[in-house]
Amino acid sequence: MTVTSTRADRSTTPSSAGPLADLLESAGLTGRGGAAFSTATKLRSALAHDADVIVNACDGEVGAAKDAWVVEHHLDELRRGAELLGRRVTVAAHRGTPTARRITAAGLALLEVPHRYVSSEESSLVSLAHGGLARPLTKSVPISLGSKDARGRRMRPTLVLNAETVWRVAQIEALGPDWFRSQGTLDEPGPRLVAVSGAVARPGVVQTSAGVSFGDLVAAAGGFSGRPTAFGIGGLGGGWLTAAEARGATWSGGDLAAYGLRVGPGIVSVLDDTRCPLAHVARTLTYAAGESAGQCGPCMFGVPAVAEDMGRLAAGTADRATLQRLRGRIGLLPGRGACRFPDGVAGYAASALRAFAPEVAAHLAGRCDVEGRGRRVR
Amino acid sequence: MSADRSPAGSRVGRGVPTTTTRPIVVDRVACTGRGICASILTEQVSLDEWGYPVVRTPQVDPELGEIAVRLCPARALSLGVPS
Ligand SMILES: Cc1cc2nc3c(=O)[nH]c(=O)nc-3n(C[C@H](O)[C@H](O)[C@H](O)COP(=O)(O)O)c2cc1C
Ligand code: SF4
Ligand code: SF4
Repeated sequence: MTVTSTRADRSTTPSSAGPLADLLESAGLTGRGGAAFSTATKLRSALAHDADVIVNACDGEVGAAKDAWVVEHHLDELRRGAELLGRRVTVAAHRGTPTARRITAAGLALLEVPHRYVSSEESSLVSLAHGGLARPLTKSVPISLGSKDARGRRMRPTLVLNAETVWRVAQIEALGPDWFRSQGTLDEPGPRLVAVSGAVARPGVVQTSAGVSFGDLVAAAGGFSGRPTAFGIGGLGGGWLTAAEARGATWSGGDLAAYGLRVGPGIVSVLDDTRCPLAHVARTLTYAAGESAGQCGPCMFGVPAVAEDMGRLAAGTADRATLQRLRGRIGLLPGRGACRFPDGVAGYAASALRAFAPEVAAHLAGRCDVEGRGRRVR
Repeated sequence: MSADRSPAGSRVGRGVPTTTTRPIVVDRVACTGRGICASILTEQVSLDEWGYPVVRTPQVDPELGEIAVRLCPARALSLGVPS
């Protein structure tokens, strides 16, 4: 993972781009919204274009909770961070949530976002802020440079940053890059928030850093509340580790890369042995199918088709041909939507087939060893 | 030439004299999946089970590419910077 892509960035930037960007670069801050892009690079581009700022506090990913936590506990620092980044600041949160109320009560400008998975994607937010629908746009030009809206009108250059990222900006400005780098790993420096949910005693937001063991993460959430079978990493845009794999790994880009995963938006959810993992994955994909913005054919038809095939697999009604079709359908999702939602869904589904290969084999043979306790499921 | 990663295609030199191929780009929101592109760019574009294009190789012959762009009923196709 290229999280500390600092040297290459420096050569391309005017030195007038601002001391804050230099500070963020030496801290090695990367986006906490999932993609882990260099925040200094995004900020330099924003400063050069006098961009508007949108703080993304939507927690749109499945299992996400950390940005609500930042708003609840560190709103003053969040405001300070946002004001350092630009002159026109809006905070985006889902309509009617406590987070939205807190933002308004603090006198900050609120961008009210409808409850749909893809409405918190950056171009959705920028479209919404310009009076359009909260749907991803085809990006002819990067959003940071002012792309066009659905009617082809130019929108203002906009810097979209995750709420935790903005909080970290304020901390780095106050405490310095050395403080920041004293936590985490060389490749993934700095403190990080992780929302831990599922089969744990005290689901909630844990303050930690990359390199923490899964055992310590779970301990910080009160320990297991059942017998763990798998760890969901990063929600619908992430994937799965088996409990055995998680025992031998840390929550870090280096360890997760071996499974095609990354720390992403800071989400870990524990599955226990009371639930069939394939049934759980199928339910999550069915949710995903309803969340596509329905704009791009390959996503509009492909995601529901993947969800249906996974549903057949979980129900024990799939054969080898179904599995092969499922793999083919997953393989055709990436890179064929206006946003990266289908890419995320494809990664999630493929990761489930990898981590739950024994369960897949059992279901193909008509057995579910978890919810069916070894009985035939069809 | 700078190595700036943000603007699309900025790494391609402007002074490249000859153009052999150009990348075909599908606007996925605009595309209605009639598949005219696949019948013109037979080598590079196929259709999925719902009729939406799968671009196997983005680099296409510029002349054929122009034709596909012109005939796409949804105006969903465009050609990127030559390479
Ligand atoms: C479908 C979809 C949903 C997203 N939802 C969120 C979200 O709820 N919160 C968030 O911070 N980023 C979300 N993102 C990522 C944003 O597009 C954007 O990259 C991010 O807010 C940038 O902030 P960062 O650079 O600080 O990470 C989403 C991306 C996609 C493709
Ligand atoms: S890829 Fe899917 S979610 Fe993204 S814009 Fe297209 S239809 Fe909407
Ligand atoms: S011709 Fe145009 S509308 Fe038809 S499938 Fe190709 S890109 Fe889509």
